[in-house]
Amino acid sequence: MADSIPKIKIMKGAEADLSAATFQIHDESHTIGNALRWMLMKNPKVEFCGYSAPHPSENVIQVRIQMYDNLSSLSALITALSDLETLCGTIEDSYMTSFNNDDYEKWIEES
Amino acid sequence: MQGHDDLEPTVHIRELKKDKVNFVLKNVDLAFANSLRRVMMADIPTVAIDMVEIEINTTVLPDEFIAHRLGMVPLASSNCDEAIRNTRDCTCLAGCDSCSIMLVLNVACHDHHTMDVTSHHLDVVPPGTPGTWGDGEEQEHDAGEELSKRGERFGHPVGKDEPGTPPVLLCKIRKGQELKLRCVAKKGIAKEHAKWSPCSAVSFEYDPYNKLRHTTHWFESDERGEWPLSENAKEEEPPRDDEPFDFNAQPSQFYFEVETDGSLGPQEVVMKGLAELQTKLANLILGLKTQPELDILTGGEQQPNGNNADGWGAGGGGGGGWGAASGNGGGWGGSASPTRGGAATSAWGATSPHSSGGATSTWGGGANAGWGSPEQQSNGWNV
Repeated sequence: MADSIPKIKIMKGAEADLSAATFQIHDESHTIGNALRWMLMKNPKVEFCGYSAPHPSENVIQVRIQMYDNLSSLSALITALSDLETLCGTIEDSYMTSFNNDDYEKWIEES
Repeated sequence: MQGHDDLEPTVHIRELKKDKVNFVLKNVDLAFANSLRRVMMADIPTVAIDMVEIEINTTVLPDEFIAHRLGMVPLASSNCDEAIRNTRDCTCLAGCDSCSIMLVLNVACHDHHTMDVTSHHLDVVPPGTPGTWGDGEEQEHDAGEELSKRGERFGHPVGKDEPGTPPVLLCKIRKGQELKLRCVAKKGIAKEHAKWSPCSAVSFEYDPYNKLRHTTHWFESDERGEWPLSENAKEEEPPRDDEPFDFNAQPSQFYFEVETDGSLGPQEVVMKGLAELQTKLANLILGLKTQPELDILTGGEQQPNGNNADGWGAGGGGGGGWGAASGNGGGWGGSASPTRGGAATSAWGATSPHSSGGATSTWGGGANAGWGSPEQQSNGWNV
């Protein structure tokens, strides 16, 4: 599948310097779309960011990013993605800390 | 309920039972908490019966009825990532020990009582049994390392051989009726069919006092009397009666209860959920890093209309679809200031102490109304 359909592509109409671009992400949904949009909005260099799932039977989402100061939306996207990944890792660590140390109601195996 | 930009995300487990975990996730976005919920419900692979070959069915239920019920039976799926291949990635022609599990059911009633056919009557054919997958062809494929990664109970109906666990009722038969069939269980995810979901329910709550007014409580005469508070309200400060509505507030505490059907443990579901999210993000980064040259070239070559570039780049009122959809396009675009901080302060500074918080909530609200609407989510494959 990776050979025929690229995971992500830049849709036509993007700025030449990628300061404003719409990315089409294949095989993703609101799960990634909304979280990614939030992470991009946290970046103060991002002027605008929005996502949409154009049609429920099309397995794609589109993410629009516009940057201030002609910065690259591509690098902002990569930063946001790796930040989200770090966030997952942080939560996993935090969960394990709670799992090992916290005092919570536990299930005791009978027999 | 204040901004949480500088606080570390935390998890606090409140309860962990055999089939459910209850935890509080703090200091993350609503969007992220929702991603975690969605991924746990729909993107974690398990095994479930996918094909049924009925040899004898003299019961009162039609074949497809029974096949559907068999599909819903939870099968033990621990370590599903490594223990079984996706059939579409397997080298075999029509099922083998690496990508499928064969289960058989053969029950007949010979006495005058109504008899229950249950999931406990399903028997797994041990991998390596000759003739399972046809004409002995399976010997040509190497068994792969998947088999060694499987637990002892992998693929068995949940609760079988566990005294006290009630089985799943499939059908009732009486004297002279018989049910004989073979099932093939395969790996899949709940995005394709809900039978592959490891969760029977995921409860997800935030803002138990409805301080953020993300919902409206309909009431006859007294809102507080008619809307009892949830248990989670104990974790939060009740609103004062004279408290003004803080329209910049963002939710920051999320109450999860993940309840599984037994195919995976609750602990495994949460861990796999986070791992699955990371995999999705890693795949995206990989996709961006392996083809950026190609994409930039096509992006640069194809500049069909200059209008487009004008509209977006200048960020003026002509922002068309996007600006209008957010409802704030005019305000933002109009101030052509290079930094977002300036615009935010002028527009929202009165109430929000930190500009980024105000800005985020404004856009977030607009975008949610436009694209993240419930109708879209409940349609089609991306439930």
